[in-house]
Amino acid sequence: MRKTAIILAVLWAAALAVQPAAAKDPDTLVVVQEAEPVGLDIMQSSIQTTMSVGYNLHDTILKPQEDATVKPGLVEKWEKLNDLTWKFTLVKGATFHNGEPIDAAAVKFSFERLMGDALKSPHRGKLNLFKGVEVIDERTFTMSTSEPYAPGLYMLAQYLFIVPPKYVQQVGDAEYNLKPVGCGPYRLERWVKGQEVVMTAYEKYYGPKPAYKRLIFRGVPEEASRIAALLTGEADVVSGIPMHQRPKILASGKAYLTDQMGSMNYLGLNTYEKPFNDVRVRQAVNHGVNRELINQALFQGKAILCRGPISPRTFGADPTLKPYPYDPEKAKKLLAEAGYPNGFEARLAYGTYMPQIQEQAEAIAADLGKIGIRVKLEPYERAVMWERYKNRQHQMFIYFWDDAPEPDRYMYSLFHSKSRDYYYKNETVDRLLEKGRTTLDPAERAKVYHQIDRFLYEDAPWVYLYVIPEVYAVSNAVEYKGLRDGYLIMSTARPRK
Amino acid sequence: MARYILKRLWHTVYVAVGISLISFFFIHLSGDPVLLMLPPDASKEEVETLREQLGFNDPLAVQYLRFAGHALRGDLGVSLVHRVPALDLIFERLPASLELAGAAMLFALAVAVPLGILAAVRRGSLLDLGSMLAALFGLSMPHFWLGIMLVLLFSVHLGWFPTSGRGSFAQLVLPALALGLSLLAMFARLTRSVMLEVLGQDYVRTARAKGLRERLVIGKHALKNALIPLVTVAGMQFGFLIGGTVIIETVFAWPGVGRLVVQAIFSRDYPLVQAAVLVLAVLFVLINLLVDLLYVLLDPQISYGGGS
Repeated sequence: MRKTAIILAVLWAAALAVQPAAAKDPDTLVVVQEAEPVGLDIMQSSIQTTMSVGYNLHDTILKPQEDATVKPGLVEKWEKLNDLTWKFTLVKGATFHNGEPIDAAAVKFSFERLMGDALKSPHRGKLNLFKGVEVIDERTFTMSTSEPYAPGLYMLAQYLFIVPPKYVQQVGDAEYNLKPVGCGPYRLERWVKGQEVVMTAYEKYYGPKPAYKRLIFRGVPEEASRIAALLTGEADVVSGIPMHQRPKILASGKAYLTDQMGSMNYLGLNTYEKPFNDVRVRQAVNHGVNRELINQALFQGKAILCRGPISPRTFGADPTLKPYPYDPEKAKKLLAEAGYPNGFEARLAYGTYMPQIQEQAEAIAADLGKIGIRVKLEPYERAVMWERYKNRQHQMFIYFWDDAPEPDRYMYSLFHSKSRDYYYKNETVDRLLEKGRTTLDPAERAKVYHQIDRFLYEDAPWVYLYVIPEVYAVSNAVEYKGLRDGYLIMSTARPRK
Repeated sequence: MARYILKRLWHTVYVAVGISLISFFFIHLSGDPVLLMLPPDASKEEVETLREQLGFNDPLAVQYLRFAGHALRGDLGVSLVHRVPALDLIFERLPASLELAGAAMLFALAVAVPLGILAAVRRGSLLDLGSMLAALFGLSMPHFWLGIMLVLLFSVHLGWFPTSGRGSFAQLVLPALALGLSLLAMFARLTRSVMLEVLGQDYVRTARAKGLRERLVIGKHALKNALIPLVTVAGMQFGFLIGGTVIIETVFAWPGVGRLVVQAIFSRDYPLVQAAVLVLAVLFVLINLLVDLLYVLLDPQISYGGGS
C-alpha cells in the first residue's frame, strides 16, 4: 500500500513537471539566434549575434538606410558646414535608461570611449577618419574628418553608439558589458547567462515606441533545434536558416521567411604568383565556373550572380556589366594563350565554417577540372584559414563579405593596398577607391564606383561568384521585415492582424 | 588514509602543471586570436596594436611564466571574447554541466542496474536478449541524432517538453534522457557481465547453500561485489560528461562548460581555453580520487592506510 502511494506520488510529480511552459505572453517577442551574446556593450564586440542584441539596447546618432543614406535618430537635423565638417542637433529631452540626459557631452564621451585605447573596441577602425566631437552647446556639436569622407554619415549611423558618461565612469567598462544602460527602444531587465537576455520597452524612448513590451533574445546553436522552437511557438523570430530547411518552414504553415543581409561569396586568386599573375588565366577561371548551375543546384536559384566585385544590390555597382558567361571553350583558349594548353594544378582553400561550402568548393573544382585546372581542395578551420590568408599562403581561396549597402565598407577594405595587399595590388584601383570615398556628390561618386567595378571586372583578381540571400524565419503571428545590414532591430516588429 | 588523500591531492598539482603546459603551447601553436578578435576590415596597424597590448608579441616562455605567476594567485586571465575573468565564466557554467551530467547519470544507473541484474539472473531469457539488444541499440545511436529525434517527438509533435534551454525541470528531461540513454546501455551491459561473473563465485554458492533467500543473495552478496567496476566506470564517465557533452549542449542549447570551451577554442580565446582545461583536469582527478575512496566503503578488503 505504502509502495503504491509512493509510486503514485512520483508519477503525479512527474506529470506536473512535464506540463509544457505556460502559453506565451502576447506582449513578449522571443528571438532565437545561433549564439547568445558574448557581452551586452555593443562597443566591445563586432560579433553579429552580439551586436543584434546590443542594437536593441543602444542607439546611434542616425539611422542607417538600405540605400546607404541616413535618417534622423538621436540627431534630428544636421548640416554640412564644409567638405570636412558636419554640424548636428540632438532631439530634445531624450534620456538614457537611467534618466541621464543625452547631450552633446555624452556624444563626445561616447566617441572618445569608442576610439580610446582602454576599451580596445573592434569598431574604432570604422570611425578613424573622424577627428573628434566639438561640443557647441547642450544639443549641438560638430564632427570633422581629416579628408572629405563620403560614407561618413553612414558610418556614424552604424557605429557611433551613445552611452551614458556618468554611469560608465561609475561602473567601469567590464561591468558595463554586463549591465549596460543604453538609450535604445529597449532597456535591459536581466541577462541570465547561458539562457536569455530579457529586455523591456523603454517608456521614455524618444522615437516610435516598440509594439512588444518585452523582448527576449536566446541563443540556440543547433539549427534543427532553432526551427523546432519556431514550430512549437517558443520562438517568434529565428535567424540562421539554412537553405534546405526553408521549404520545411514554409510547409509548416506556421511561419514565413524574410530577407536579411546576403553573404557575397568570392573566389580570390593570388595575382602575385604564377599562374594567376596572368590576367588571361584569371579571366579563364571566371569563364570556367558554372555559377548558374551552382545557383540552381545548391541555392534553388535564389542566389544573385555577381557581375563585378561590387554586390549587385549595392550603391555603385555598374549596371551595364554582365556576369562572365560560362564558356569552357573560351576558358581553354585563354589558358592556351597564357601558355597553359594542358592546364595546371592549383590549391583551393576554404573555411569549413561557411554554410554549404563543401558543395560549392567541390562544384567549382569539378568545373575547373573540365578546363584543365586540377584543383586540390584545402578545407581549413576558421582561424587557420584566416592566418594563412594573412600570410599569403593561399593560391585560390573562397571567402565572403556581406553585401553591405555602402560600397566603401568593403571595397576599400578588400582592394586598397593600404588595407590589404595580400594577393592583389593596383595603383589605379587605389586611386579610384580614394576618389570614391572623398567624392561627396552622390551622382559623381556612383560614376567612380562604376569605374572601379568595371576595372576589376576586367582585371579579374577574383572569380565573382554570387550573393546568397540569408533569411530569418518569422512566426505568422508577427509582422517583421528583415534589414539588409543583418541586425535584428526588433522595435519595428508588430503583431500581425 | 589521510596521508593517502594528501598524497593524491599533491599529485593533482603535477597534473595541473603538466596540463597547463601542454594546453598553453598547443593553443598558442594553433592560430592568432587577434585576427579573430578584430572585424575583417581591421587594418594592419590595428592588429599590431592589439597584439602588443595583449602581450602576444612576447616569447611564448615569457607568456607562459606570466600566466603561471597569475594562476598561482588564482587569476587565470580575462576571456578575450567575453571580456570577463575566465574563471567566472567557467564557474557560471559549471552548475549546468554538473546538473546535466548528474541527471543523466542518475537516470542511467536507476534503470541500468536493475535491468543488468535481471538480464544476468535470467540469462538467456527473452528479457536478457531483448534488453541487451536494446542496450546495443542505445550505445550505437549517435547523441546528435537521438537528441533531435527526442525534440521532434516530445517537443514538436507531442508538445510535452520545451525544445531547448535551461531553467525548469521540464527543460532538463530531454537532454538528460538523450545523454543518459547511451550511458544506460553501457551500464546495463556492464552490470550484466559483472553480475554473471560474480554469480559464479564460490561465496554466492555458499550463500545459497546456507539457504539465504535469492533476493538477499543477489542484492547483498552478489551486487555489492559487482558494484566496484560499475563505480569505476561511472566515475570516469561522470568526469568525461562535465566537459564532454558538447553535442547534447548544442542540440538543447544547454549552457554547459563543454560548449563554452569549444567556442573558446574556435575563437582562440587563449585564457578561457587554458582556464577551462585546467579546471576540468583538476575536477577529473578529484572525481577519480572520490571513486577510489568509495572502494573502501564497498569492499572492506581495500584500504589505503599503508598498513597490512
